[in-house]
Amino acid sequence: MEISVIFPTKDRECYVKRAVRTAFKVKLVREVIVVDGGSRDRTVKLAKKEGAEVIVQSDLIYPGKGVAMRDGAYLARGDILIYLDIDIKNMTPKFFEKLAEPLINGEAEFVKGCFERASGRVTELVAKPLLRMFYPEIARFKQPLSGEIAGLRKLFYKVDFERGWGVDVGLLIDLYKLGARIVERDIGYKDHDMKSLHALTDMAYEVAGAILRRAIRDWKIDIQWAEKYLKGVRTIDLGLESGAGFA
Amino acid sequence: MRTLLIGGGHSACFAANAIREIDPKGKLIIIEFTSEKVDALLRTFPFAEVIHQEIDEIENYIRSNGSIIDAVITATESDSLNLRYCRIAKENAIPLTISIINNPLNYEIFLKEEIPYIINPYHLIPIELSEILGAATNVLYESQKTRVLAVSIKISNGRLLPELMKELSQSRDVSAIFVSQSGEIKTSIEEVGLGGRLYLIGPKERIDKVLRIVKRR
Repeated sequence: MEISVIFPTKDRECYVKRAVRTAFKVKLVREVIVVDGGSRDRTVKLAKKEGAEVIVQSDLIYPGKGVAMRDGAYLARGDILIYLDIDIKNMTPKFFEKLAEPLINGEAEFVKGCFERASGRVTELVAKPLLRMFYPEIARFKQPLSGEIAGLRKLFYKVDFERGWGVDVGLLIDLYKLGARIVERDIGYKDHDMKSLHALTDMAYEVAGAILRRAIRDWKIDIQWAEKYLKGVRTIDLGLESGAGFA
Repeated sequence: MRTLLIGGGHSACFAANAIREIDPKGKLIIIEFTSEKVDALLRTFPFAEVIHQEIDEIENYIRSNGSIIDAVITATESDSLNLRYCRIAKENAIPLTISIINNPLNYEIFLKEEIPYIINPYHLIPIELSEILGAATNVLYESQKTRVLAVSIKISNGRLLPELMKELSQSRDVSAIFVSQSGEIKTSIEEVGLGGRLYLIGPKERIDKVLRIVKRR
């Protein structure tokens, strides 16, 4: 089995050299792919210099993490794909190997990484409550939004990628629905910069959208459901006229 | 001609219609990997053979049918897939490999991969804007096949004129048309005047020399 490592990037010149070098040290690695979101710094140049295959994501929009992840999967030739955030400061080959191990052993087809850090705010306040409502069977995942994942390449061709930040939770739901064998693996302590609360607004919006679109697709939302649940949040100003749409 | 068109989005639809116009008796095969799109493509392009293939199967299709395919046009919505299939087409010595890219930033990457023909659908936007807004120089067309270049130059500098006229009178392989400020079209170099626009078409190296003169001024 061969491994393709994929890094979505945008203006990450200070991380790219170390990340690509580390990825090339991983056992069974065939290629390292950097899918860039239109960097204005030296990210692309440095990635090429380190031997990575570089392509710019197909969409002109940014952030388009999902598009970058999809493009990485489409370019990859390895049997296993590993995605890792490029800005992990303490990245070692062990991170990759822990993610790949259940796939190599045949224990799983898709691996979700989790790490020793308090879960993010979008995870706790948006993703987990919505998953508990609509997909309780996958609410057990500690970090459903983790960008550290691995899976069999062919599996990624069977699902649609959300274009933005909703991609990670979207993949988790869709692969679960597809019947893929999914496990969560602790990859250890992850040292990386946390986003500011303000920067998380768009992310929260896209994550909620990704889950709700799937809930509608999977017939988990209907008018009766909305009435039942939204009665409980009537004290919050939803911008709706009083009583409109709800008995 | 037997053309294999990969993709079922906007670019592919434009390409399919263009191929039909250019080569009405040719054989057009469209490959799409989204099963829902295949029926729509069949209805839209009844003159084409439309095939549904998985992403990984398309490479095998190119390999198996390479000897009878004259041209491969990759026009999927992912530049990664476009690059992947172009590489296979090149490896299998398909006479013509053409890619319609999605993100202009990938042009250089495809160029370095030596993809013979790369179409950037967005490249007309700066050209049209330069023409409408009256840019000093504007490259209107550069042939990827013949090294022919067509440009337009704004005549805004009196000192530029004699130098340009001297250069053009020595360049018999460059054709020129001048459009005056009032919109009159003139074909003689002697009629070139200030404020109008000069249109040139000719060999790239000749036109590049003219552009260098303009930039110096």
